[in-house]
Amino acid sequence: MKPTAGRDDLLALAERLVRFGRVCGADEIEVGVGDGTEFSVDVRLGEIENLVEAGSRSMGLRIIKDKKTAFASSSDLDEETLKRLIRNAVRRAELSSRDEFSGLPTLSKRGVDPAALSIYDPEIEQLDSKTKIGLALETERIALADKRITNSHGASFVTNDGTAVLASSNGFLGRFQKSYCSLSVGLQAGATDDMVEDFWFSSQTHFEALERPEQIARTAVERTVRQLRPRKIKTQKVPVIFEPMMTSGLLGFLFSCVAGTAIYQKSSFLVGKLGRRIANDAITVVDDGRMPGKLGTSPFDSEGVPSRRTVVVQKGILKNYLCNTYAARKLKLRSTGNADGGGVGPNNFYLEPGPHAPSDIIRSCEKGLVLIRTLGHGLNPVNGDISRGAFGLWIEKGEIAYPVSEITISGNLGELLKNIEMVGSDLEFRGSICGPTIKVAEMMVSGT
Amino acid sequence: MIYPRIPFEDHFRLSHDDLQRVLGIAQSSGGRFAEVYLEYRAYSFVLMEEDIIKETAESISLGMGIRVVSGEKTGFGYTNDLAFDKIRRAALSAAVIAASPTTAKVVDLKAVRLARDVYRVREGSHRAPLEKKIGLVKEAYAACRKSSRAVKKVKASLQDSIQFVMIANSDGLLVTDARPLVKLTCVAISEKGRLREYGFSGGGGRVGLEYFASELTPQRIGKEAAQEALNLLEARPAPAGEMPVVLSPGHAGVFIHEAVGHLLEADFNRKKTSVFWNKFGRKIGSDLITIYDDPTIPAFRGSYNIDDEGTVPRKTLLIEKGVIKGLLQDRLSAGLMKMSLTGHARRQDFSDIPLPRMTNTYIEKGESDPAEIIRSVKKGFYADKFQGGQVEDSGKFTFSVSSGFLIEDGKLTAPVKQATLIGSNVDILNKIEMVGHDLTFGLQTGTCSKEGQDVPVTDGCPTLKISKMTVGGLE
Repeated sequence: MKPTAGRDDLLALAERLVRFGRVCGADEIEVGVGDGTEFSVDVRLGEIENLVEAGSRSMGLRIIKDKKTAFASSSDLDEETLKRLIRNAVRRAELSSRDEFSGLPTLSKRGVDPAALSIYDPEIEQLDSKTKIGLALETERIALADKRITNSHGASFVTNDGTAVLASSNGFLGRFQKSYCSLSVGLQAGATDDMVEDFWFSSQTHFEALERPEQIARTAVERTVRQLRPRKIKTQKVPVIFEPMMTSGLLGFLFSCVAGTAIYQKSSFLVGKLGRRIANDAITVVDDGRMPGKLGTSPFDSEGVPSRRTVVVQKGILKNYLCNTYAARKLKLRSTGNADGGGVGPNNFYLEPGPHAPSDIIRSCEKGLVLIRTLGHGLNPVNGDISRGAFGLWIEKGEIAYPVSEITISGNLGELLKNIEMVGSDLEFRGSICGPTIKVAEMMVSGT
Repeated sequence: MIYPRIPFEDHFRLSHDDLQRVLGIAQSSGGRFAEVYLEYRAYSFVLMEEDIIKETAESISLGMGIRVVSGEKTGFGYTNDLAFDKIRRAALSAAVIAASPTTAKVVDLKAVRLARDVYRVREGSHRAPLEKKIGLVKEAYAACRKSSRAVKKVKASLQDSIQFVMIANSDGLLVTDARPLVKLTCVAISEKGRLREYGFSGGGGRVGLEYFASELTPQRIGKEAAQEALNLLEARPAPAGEMPVVLSPGHAGVFIHEAVGHLLEADFNRKKTSVFWNKFGRKIGSDLITIYDDPTIPAFRGSYNIDDEGTVPRKTLLIEKGVIKGLLQDRLSAGLMKMSLTGHARRQDFSDIPLPRMTNTYIEKGESDPAEIIRSVKKGFYADKFQGGQVEDSGKFTFSVSSGFLIEDGKLTAPVKQATLIGSNVDILNKIEMVGHDLTFGLQTGTCSKEGQDVPVTDGCPTLKISKMTVGGLE
């Protein structure tokens, strides 16, 4: 066995690797190092099922030589291994093609202070195992106390604590710490052959913001039992109301269509639509990496570009694509601070809430479907087509009448965005992509 | 395997004595079973888009996962720093789960030599020069690009890896495997007026680069991707509603992967969350269907010499003539259910707890003539190319079709695009009316996700007729 490596400062390691890359002949080099700890406990039927505790480090780098790019990454932080990867990357870069758009971002003077973002909660690290296990047990216990619940997928409590460091040959040197915790439970109701299931969760950067076990358990129970005894419905076109989790899924699809990488690759139906109306004027979509305490918040992206707030869709008009430095150069735009590894990722990407209470939205439907869950894939960013398996609640005369299942919903994101009639007031930040309840004027619902 | 095995200790620098010591620490709190999983994976990636070799990447994954099992409880720790104090900490983290300190005796480790090798490699991709991989990517790219002027964008990439694993456990097992995996894929974007469509093809498996000279050429991959994107420009929206559905042979196996495979994974049945848990030995579908999962098919993406617990896998019968006959097992579930191991424990990497998973899942061929199956449908939907699917424990499942055809009066007529199909597994399995004699396996590019872990899989299926299923089209 090797002797234990000395406790190396991550920043110093990243800087050393940048210098080594330059010595090896890289014109530009960027090194990211991550150091994280993970705790997770799964409990089921009142007993611990899995208990995981671990720490790990990783390194990723990009090298540019003669405008040619090579990437490398490793979970082995042995310095000899890392130096070999750098030497290989410099050699490999020569085999890539010259690409005038390649290269690191030019250094920004305006940094973002990580402390102001409030994305690290020291309390999480202090939680003892007993407390963490207790939260999961308590959540499941409350849920199982409801007689309508027949089986459990278990409850989980997870925490992560990570430090990210980035150094690059353009002089960038940054570091931030971020924490994460989540509590969730998955349930079944009904007998085996009439089983329905669902789950609920809360995830936050700060422990005190996490929903309590009672709240999560009650929501999970309610979400599960409301699906009992579903009916089938006839194939028809009706208004469809998306619950917030469903709107979030739709926004995830929209994100993949406004990502700058998808635009220059022409794999989005929103190519060439900048400045044009793509949605009705109730729709404003924002990507904001600077919202204090949110899951998608960070001071800079994976290229060191400071996080910012970008209005993507303003009252229906497509204002910005979300870009890393490369996509921005290809599209003659500016990076929006959305670099994520080699690609583009969301910060806090959300649909701004509207004026309507969710209950009013339901009341506005003579007949329609509340979409509560989807199953499967069936999203095509190239043309915007949507076709997904679905579970829902049927609305008759403005009231929820009964659950429905074994249906699909289909439509096209381009058309759907123009047909959002109502936007709810119930926006909650449960993940890095989120939206409130929305009502779409009409979609095809396939049943019998 | 033709290429020489790299001595494992060069990667891990741990002797048998070291491993034995680690197992001892892991069992120090009295866990019934302890296991060490060591992994070293070298991965490489070549990407071509915009007519240039955009980037290459190299990645190394090294680490150790330590697991302690006590009854239904699993303690797990991992580290990617193989310094002894870090390993010790991971072992102690795993040990916490067992609460009755004893001085467990670790059996002496005995290295197992494997009798069978399911990998088919002459030219190991991890040793091939990068220039050669770039050459393959360029060939696929060029074939796709020049297929038609309507092909506007192309993306081609080659991913390959070699994964060395070493598994030691408190039963005295010590076993190693070196698993090659390669995948060459091509994506095409076609345009006609305001229409824009997407096509995909690819292949590979547990093979060497020679595969792309003989079995499946880069040119074919490129042309197939282009063809799908071009065909879709002519396609109209899929129909909506319930209708007879015919599945094309090959990747339609995704249907059986979702409808049957997941819910016969042992963990869901042990926990009684799967709709199948109380149906073992019972008839749940048409007697035309027999389903296997076989991790031993040479060269296939889902295959391996040992599973991620060191068990030598076997071809496993899941459904015979409509009757449930088997489950996909890992040690935990097999032990608790008192059933035999099948060798289906898999993990994404060293930082994950193994789960029972599928490998290469397929429906055995039947007796019908595929042309006869199509002729038997008056009005229906022919599902030709597939994307992924999903299932929940109740048996409700979906799969998505990227392109297909209408069937009218026994003939394939108008091409149609994009539809997700949904059904309930027991219901749909009973509606399988005809099974073709043309068993085919899908593209060697598939990945299956479960509880956040991705593993490579393959699926296969002959032409199938389902008397009625809900198709989620637009018309």
